[in-house]
Amino acid sequence: MRNVSIVGMGTTEFGVLDAGVKDLGVRAVSRALRSCDVNRADVDALYLGNFVAGILEGQENIAPLVADSVGLTGIPTMKTEGACASSGIALRQAYQAVATGVHDVVVVAGVESMTNAETTEFTRALNSAADTQTEGKTGLTFPGFYGLWLDRYMHEHGATREEVAAIPVKNRANGATNPRARFRDPIAIDDVVESRLVADPLRLYDCCPAADGGAALVITASDRAREFTDTPLSVLGSGHASGRSGAYRYEDLTTLDATVTAANDAYAQAGISPTDLDVVELHDCFSAAEIGDSEDLGLFEKGEGARAAAEGVTAVDGDVPINPSGGLLSKGHPVGATGIGQVYEACLQLLGEHENQVDGAELALTHNLGGSGAVCTVTVLGRDA
Amino acid sequence: MPAFPATECADCGELYGFPVVACRDCGCESFETRELDGSGIVYARTTIRVPGADHQGQEPFEVCVVDLADDIRITARVLDNPELGPDDSVQFVEARDGVFFFEAA
Ligand SMILES: [Zn+2]
Repeated sequence: MRNVSIVGMGTTEFGVLDAGVKDLGVRAVSRALRSCDVNRADVDALYLGNFVAGILEGQENIAPLVADSVGLTGIPTMKTEGACASSGIALRQAYQAVATGVHDVVVVAGVESMTNAETTEFTRALNSAADTQTEGKTGLTFPGFYGLWLDRYMHEHGATREEVAAIPVKNRANGATNPRARFRDPIAIDDVVESRLVADPLRLYDCCPAADGGAALVITASDRAREFTDTPLSVLGSGHASGRSGAYRYEDLTTLDATVTAANDAYAQAGISPTDLDVVELHDCFSAAEIGDSEDLGLFEKGEGARAAAEGVTAVDGDVPINPSGGLLSKGHPVGATGIGQVYEACLQLLGEHENQVDGAELALTHNLGGSGAVCTVTVLGRDA
Repeated sequence: MPAFPATECADCGELYGFPVVACRDCGCESFETRELDGSGIVYARTTIRVPGADHQGQEPFEVCVVDLADDIRITARVLDNPELGPDDSVQFVEARDGVFFFEAA
């Protein structure tokens, strides 16, 4: 296996962009190609993650469409789909192709356009990530899944609503200074606990907003990385696991085992432990998700995640900075673009160029989760190998 | 008290709450219905106030994860009881269109 480096990156802002999935994909990929010294003739393949363009826009076959529009006609392309982890999977597949020597230079993208959709179409599309035969029929939504999660978590671990609310407050404060975030206004604990109930005990401000967006990377074998940039970053570990197909399938609903498995694989490959990490971008689609993810990733003991956020441990200047980008709660969740968007934010941290810079960040982790914990990718990133 | 219609693998005896087409353990594709005591314990509960496209107008409604006898765990509806929570007792009422409905016991 060869070492793999990131040599280029590009993104749109995440928000209400009034653009379709093809245009957002083209913008992100073009920006990634322009960010480094890669000629189009160097690119061997394009992997693109997307979730709902087929349902919402009637637009499938997106990977070759984007490739043709950015001057990459002729190369092999493919779309990956794993709900909210769609582009995390794209990165994983591209990583494997480069690591095994199948390809030398691969463009990886994630893209989604959601805010133009009618509400009923939008919710139908998102709910398609759950098992429609069991939980879909029952009427469980994704906020509902995390409502169940949080109900059980508070019952078992005694976390308070106010402790949980510290997470959206932190992430909105971080998002306020991220020009790529959809929400850039800070909120207070009272705003969260007084906002309207969506899926008890989850409230409106516990939930991430939809967004449109695209993000892309150029990756290559590490021994070729300096042909394309003076500041390559290393993919030190990559994990990808599947998990349970519904809330009823978990023995312990508060542990989403796909995250544990993917993280352990990524840690082992990188030769690190969770305490070595300097900065983490994890899948905070809901406040409850950030609590669970932080524990499943091994950053905190079970039951300590909410308290850690309330005590400031996960702030940008805390011991375990989580989502200094503002996370999904601030950036928004353009589903298929989220995983690469997280990697983009982590790369800025490792380059020392982030608006909410963690001092001296050398080792970063990104965590992308899809469905009811049904699929997860974890990536460990470092400065140049 | 209605019994709960669990699905039992005809080959290895593995039990399922939701119907399945192939046994997760042995791959057998034949099943029999086995009636379980319809009393259950709530594992977790939420109240859906913003429903999906297929449940518009039904809100608010309760969705629970419920534990039945023989380690069967299912996602189910509980009729009009937002006060229910973990460890509370519920009773199976009926299965309708593939959805299991319970009420407070
Ligand atoms: Zn069997």
